[in-house]
This record gives sequence, C-alpha cells and structure tokens, in this order.
Amino acid sequence: MPDSPPLNAHPAPSPPLNCEHCALPIPPAALVTEVIAGTELSFCCQGCRGAYLIITGAGLERYYRQREWAEPGLPDGAFTNPYEDDFLQRFVCTVDGQEELTFVVEGLRCASCVWLNEKLLGNLDGVLSARVNYSTHRAQVRFDPARVTPARLFAAVAGLGYLPRPFTADAVHQLQERERRALLIRFGTALFLSMQLMGYSLALYAGYFQGMEASAKQLLQWFAALVSTPVVFYSGWPFLAGGWRSLRNRAPNMDLLIALGVLAAYGASLHATLLGGEVYFDTAAMIITLILAGRLFENAARRSAAAGIDRLLQLAPEMANRIDASGQCTRIESVQLKPGEQVRVLPGERFPTDGAVAVGETEVDQSAATGEALPVLRRPGESVLGGTLNLLAPVTVTVSQPAATSFVARVARLVEEAQSRRAPIQGIADRVSVVFVPVVALIAAATWLFWTMQGGGAVQPLLAAVAVVVIACPCALGLATPTAILVASGAAARRGILYRGGDILEATARLDHACFDKTGTLTSGQPRVIAIRPVTGTTDDLLQLAAGIEAESLHPLAIGICRAARERSLPVIPLPQVETFPGRGLAARSSHGMLLAGNRTLLTEHGIAVPDAAADSTTEVHLARAGEYLGCLLLEDSPRPQAGAIIAGLRRMGLRTILLTGDSPAAGATLAARLGMDEAHGGLTPEGKCAELLRLQQRGRKVLMVGDGINDAPALSTADVGCAMLGGTDIALDSSDLVLTRPDLERLHEALLLARRTLRIIRQNLFWAFVYNLAALPLAAMGKLVPVHAAAAMALSSVCVVGNSLRLGNRDTRSEVKQSTYTEKLILTPNPEPRTLDR
Amino acid sequence: MTLSTLALIFLSLCVGAGVWLVFIWAVRRGEFDDPEGPKYRMLDEDEHPRRNPSRQGDDDAV
Repeated sequence: MPDSPPLNAHPAPSPPLNCEHCALPIPPAALVTEVIAGTELSFCCQGCRGAYLIITGAGLERYYRQREWAEPGLPDGAFTNPYEDDFLQRFVCTVDGQEELTFVVEGLRCASCVWLNEKLLGNLDGVLSARVNYSTHRAQVRFDPARVTPARLFAAVAGLGYLPRPFTADAVHQLQERERRALLIRFGTALFLSMQLMGYSLALYAGYFQGMEASAKQLLQWFAALVSTPVVFYSGWPFLAGGWRSLRNRAPNMDLLIALGVLAAYGASLHATLLGGEVYFDTAAMIITLILAGRLFENAARRSAAAGIDRLLQLAPEMANRIDASGQCTRIESVQLKPGEQVRVLPGERFPTDGAVAVGETEVDQSAATGEALPVLRRPGESVLGGTLNLLAPVTVTVSQPAATSFVARVARLVEEAQSRRAPIQGIADRVSVVFVPVVALIAAATWLFWTMQGGGAVQPLLAAVAVVVIACPCALGLATPTAILVASGAAARRGILYRGGDILEATARLDHACFDKTGTLTSGQPRVIAIRPVTGTTDDLLQLAAGIEAESLHPLAIGICRAARERSLPVIPLPQVETFPGRGLAARSSHGMLLAGNRTLLTEHGIAVPDAAADSTTEVHLARAGEYLGCLLLEDSPRPQAGAIIAGLRRMGLRTILLTGDSPAAGATLAARLGMDEAHGGLTPEGKCAELLRLQQRGRKVLMVGDGINDAPALSTADVGCAMLGGTDIALDSSDLVLTRPDLERLHEALLLARRTLRIIRQNLFWAFVYNLAALPLAAMGKLVPVHAAAAMALSSVCVVGNSLRLGNRDTRSEVKQSTYTEKLILTPNPEPRTLDR
Repeated sequence: MTLSTLALIFLSLCVGAGVWLVFIWAVRRGEFDDPEGPKYRMLDEDEHPRRNPSRQGDDDAV
C-alpha cells in the first residue's frame, strides 16, 4: 500500500491574507474579492462580504477602525435567525406605554460591537430606542409594533453575524438584582455615616492627645453614637443576623466573629459615652463598611461570571411541528407534546423530545446526549433522544415521552440531586473563624477572671474583656478573601476563565484529582483525515474526488474530508445529483460512471470487493468508480492538539488524571495511554460517572471533572469543581462551576495555577489581617489598650491586605503557562505525525 | 465655641444627607447597573444625533 504523507502537518504555504470582516486567514480556495471605493478588499466567504457591505452601507465604517478583537472568527450558527415572530412576541413587554424587547446578543467582543449593534438597531425604521448593556450583553429595544416586528430586530442583529437570543428576566434574576441594590444602599449608607463619624473621631483623637473641654468631648461622643447606631443596626444587619444564625447552629463562622467584634466595640463605646471614657465607635463602623465593600466586590465578581455563563447557554428546541390526523403541520411548543403524537423533524433541527422514528430514515448526531462522535443510523421503529440533531433527511417521529420526562429532563433531575447532595464549600475565612472564635472567647473569659481575682471591681474586668474582643476581631479579615477573589476573577475573565464564585476559586486550588470525559473534551469531536490510501494515482487526486462528492453533505466525515482538501488548497467542485444512503455513504453519477463513497457495506452492496484494512479507532471511507475500487481515506476523532500538554501540566502540578468515558473501555484505555493519563474507566453511564467521582470523594479526594455532553452533567455537579468549555451543551455549562469561554483546554492549566496563587494570597492576607491585632492583644488583656493602638492595628492590616491582593493582577500567569507548556510540547510531542504513518 | 461647632456639625450632616439621598435615587434609577459601558459610550461622538427620521416623528408624536 503506498505511503501517504501526513495531512495534519501544515497546509501549503499561503500568503498571509486575512479577511477584511472576520480577520481570519483566507484559504486560497475560498478567496472572494470585491472592489469597494477603489480598493480591492479580500474576504474569506460571501457571508463576510455581505456583512461588510451591510456595515459600510449603513455608514458605520468606524466599526472596523475601532474594534479590538481578541480572536477572529464567528460563533457557530451566525447569520441565521431561528426565532419566529409568534414566539418572540411572548418576550415583549410594555414599559411606559411602549413595547420593549430585551434579548441577549451573543458574540459581542468589545465596545465597538456594542456601538455597532446599538446604532444598527437604532437606525431601523420603527425603533424608538436601543441600548446594549456592555457588561451583561443584553439589548433593550423599544419599538413601534406597527412598523417593526421582533423578528426584524433579530434578523438585523443576526445579519451582522451576532447571535440574538430571547431573554426572560425570571424571578431568580430579579431577586438577585434587588439584593444587589439593597447591598449597594447598605454600603452607601455605611460609607456616608462613617465619613461623618471620621470627623468626630479625628476631633476626639486630637482631644485625646492635646486635651479638650469635657463638654465638647461629650458632645462629639453623642454625635458619634448617633451616626454609628444606624451603621451597626441597619448596614450591619446581615452580619448580626448571620452571626445569630451561626450561633444557633453551633457553627461559628465569619459573621459571628464580625458581629461579636462590632457589638463589643459598640457596647463598650456606648457605656463610655454614658459614664465617661474613650469611645471606639469608629472601629465598629469601619469593620462594617470595609466588610460590606468586600461583599460588594465579591458580588460583582460573581455577577459578571453569572452573566458570562448566561450568555453561553444555548436555547433547547422550544417549538415542534406537530402533525394532526389530517396530515396538517402545526407549530406548537415542545412542552405541549403528548406521547403518541407525531412530529415532523427536518434535517438540521433537534428532536423536541424522546420518540421513535415512524416514517423515513436518517442519521442522528447524538454527540450532545451520549458523547458518541459519529452519527448513528435511525430507521423506522428505532428510538431517538430529545435534543439530538437530525442530520440527513426529514423524518416523522412518534413521541414516546412528554418533554418533562425525556432523557434530557431525567439527566437534569440527576443534576439537581447531585447539587443538593453536595456540601457547600467552606471558605478559608470561615474555617479560620471556627478556631478563632472559641479562642478569643476563652482569652476574654480568662482576662475577666484574672482582673476579678485581682480585685478590679465589677466594671474594670469587664472593660478589659471587651477590649480583648474588640481588638481581636480583625476587620481586614472581611477584605482578605473578597479583594483577592475580585482581582483574580477579573484577571481570569480576561483570559476566558469564569469562576462561578469565590468559593469555587478556593476549591479549585485544593484539587488533587482531575477526571476527563473523552469525546468532545480531550478529543475535538470532529474526525480528521489521518491517512489516504489510493490504489492508483496520487493521494491528492483521491482526496479531491472524495471532497467533490462529499462537498454538500453535513456529515462530520464529509466535513473532515472537505477540510482536508481545503488545507491542501485543492479546488473542490461539488458534484451534482448526489444520492445519500443513510448510514452507508453517498453515490453520484459522473461522466466516468457511478462514483461511490462510503463504508464497506455500501461498496459490497454494489458488488465491489474491498480489501481488508482493519484499524482500531479509525473510520474508513472507501471510494469506487464504475465498479472499480479506487482506495480509501482513514479518519479519526483525534485528540485535541493541546491535550497531551495539558495532561502533563496537571500531572506536574501533582494532580492524578483519570479518563471517564461512555465509550468502550478499550478505546478509553488507548487514548489514556497515548496521552499519559494515570487511569481510564470506560463504558460508563451518567450515573456510573457520578459513582466513580463519589468513590474518590469518599476517600477524601478533591475532584475536578471536565466534560461537555448532557451525559456528563450529573458528574459535573457531583465533582468538587465541574468544568465545561464553550461549545459544550447548555446543561453541561449550567451544571459546571468553572467555565472556559474559549474552546481551548490550555486555559484549564491557567485556571488551576491562578486559583492556587489566589489561595496563597488569601492565606497571606489572613496573616496580615491577624498579625497586628494579635500584637495588640496582650495590651488589651493587660487593660492598657488605648484607642490609638486599635486604630493603628486596623489601618495597617487593611492596607497590607488590599495591597497584597492587588499583586494578583500584576504578574501575568499566562507567561508562566506559555513557557511551561511550550517546553512540555517539545519534550512530549517531538513530532505527532509518525503515529499516523505507521498505521 | 460649642454652639458654632454644633452648627457646623449640623450643616455637615445636612450636606451629607443630601448627597446620600442623591445616591439612593441613583441606585434606584439603575445608574449602577452597567459600570462598564459608559466609559466607552462617552467616546462615541454622534455625528448625526437625529439622522433617523422615524425617531424624529415619534418624538413629535409623544
């Protein structure tokens, strides 16, 4: 058999020509040129040319000068608007007597995209106002229903290559928004009153050093009491309530520590105001203000992560075509389907719910549900799963399950169960409090006992004990975690990593096992041509012939073959009159006779002998013309290029890597061995993957799960940290804690490094938060504490904590990763090609 | 001296309370909902603020 040169080595050297619109390099075979305003511009496809003309035609050329893109390219499914007016009409609400539609615009990359969408929508006839929120990517459009319809708005946005998606402000969102505003008002109030208080305190400090009139001191103390009371009882209410709750549950947490410190400082100061002495109102108010600021930071980080994940969710098929007894098609909502009813599903559509094929035969892409990369043939009587994609031909399906009990819904329930079973992640600050609160209580009690034994009367021992509590409660503790998390999650978001909250960041740093799904996660899920074996002629001739017949097919194998032809810059001329044999292949009549491309079965059926070429994980596409066997192409769902490097990187960080796949154990073991993973388990159901993770967790391991299919979703929620990538299914994204917004596994390594660095910074912060206060603790126990000590301890610790957190944003983690993975690539994959040659 | 201090304190409280009320009003109006956008929107000078005739018509109608 003739040798075939490796295909995935490098495409033929092409001039560095990039598309004017999408900025992707242009494959020479697809070049489209257009002379606009005297200059010849190059585009990679007709779609980009069209979008360029729309934008320049609307007088918005500024977009191309202003935009700053991190990556070129378009999201999948761009340019089409799958939503109909009737459906969108439900998302329209009336505000101030005007119709308003809110929707999410996917694919916004920079301020320039926001500008473009706003201007384009605003210039549509009938649009009264259009606003696009830069941080949440939500567009809010008010329009005149007589002149423009929601579908026109969607079509306008889709025509530019962005993806509009309906958005409903559900109850959860509204509640979160209200809570955020309430927190902001609490913080604003605390800040305003603390500023007033600072004036009085400054005067009191000056009086403490220089002496002041008793009446003036009294007056200032009363004012201080006046402004700090609302701070403690209104702004500080969440802490007081939280502290009380934790006391009742006998689980001391940070809230209790804060409440204790604040109430002690406030109570002691009130006592001093009434009976004379020095006041610490400023300590109480500052603790609350700073910690509220910390909560606000954490909230902002969480909110931006949540908005990011919202944007990634794809909408499940909402509508279905039901066929009545008379054979008429009506469009209804998927949830209204009942078992026994028949629905029509066109190629390119997803099945609305589980059912069995009644009429027609087609191939189904089940990768979303089962992780199976290659399409499966479905004949009448065979079952299909809701959410899977119909690839080839229109079919009629008899519904067997209502949408509420379909496979996808059952998996969703498993996810919910897993989420409720999982114990909440305890932050490091809470764990410190568990130890710290009893210790402080003990020291305070000892102080009180000591001074009572010394005969200090009734008041003086109590004051000393309260002073211990006041000084021991570090207000910088409230800032230690949130500031670090804010800076870290901001830095992470810039690199396409979203943590769903600060606790996740901390949990990510503690992981010691990493489990991976196979298909679509470690492999790309798209078959690539790895070898071409012609009987006669050159490899290019055979590939060109195959690409010609496969050119207009949507089958992943066909896409893989056409991509290979493009990479070699071979001109692809689609053949007319191609006939499809579902599950077998394609046939076309050409001038040289009947051309066949397909599997062994197809060729045998047509009476052509096919030589044996058994290979384990590869798929063969055989070609024959006019009854003569021409050769075959070998395709494989190959591992992602970075998979080897990322596994090695994780192992170097001390994580054990495990493969959990629904595929056969043999296929799993082969891939695991190839990538150098520690363990592999195959043939697992969604429940099986969960069980595997639970087994690890019972031994006290902290487990990361990386996956993308619906079948991974329960495992993602079971794991300590679940990680999904862009391109994963909506339920997988929804049940994961860590989301990579670019389909690039290398980010996972960065995410782990950043989390570990964050945890280190948090630990340092806790040290700085405590150290000054602990230094002042002996003074308090001796009853020699003066306000200036408390003030110095507080100011120094806060400055140290905030400054330390800011370091997280300074150094670029990426450079570390780049360096390490680069060297690993050199060592691990000196040349990936020989593998394909020796097959 | 005490009286003038008292007056000044009251004055500062009143000014502060005014600012506080403006802040509450701004939060309720949703001015803090998009902290990222305005810094970019400020740079988009609008060459033709009233280019769209349909909008002109709507404003007249209202």
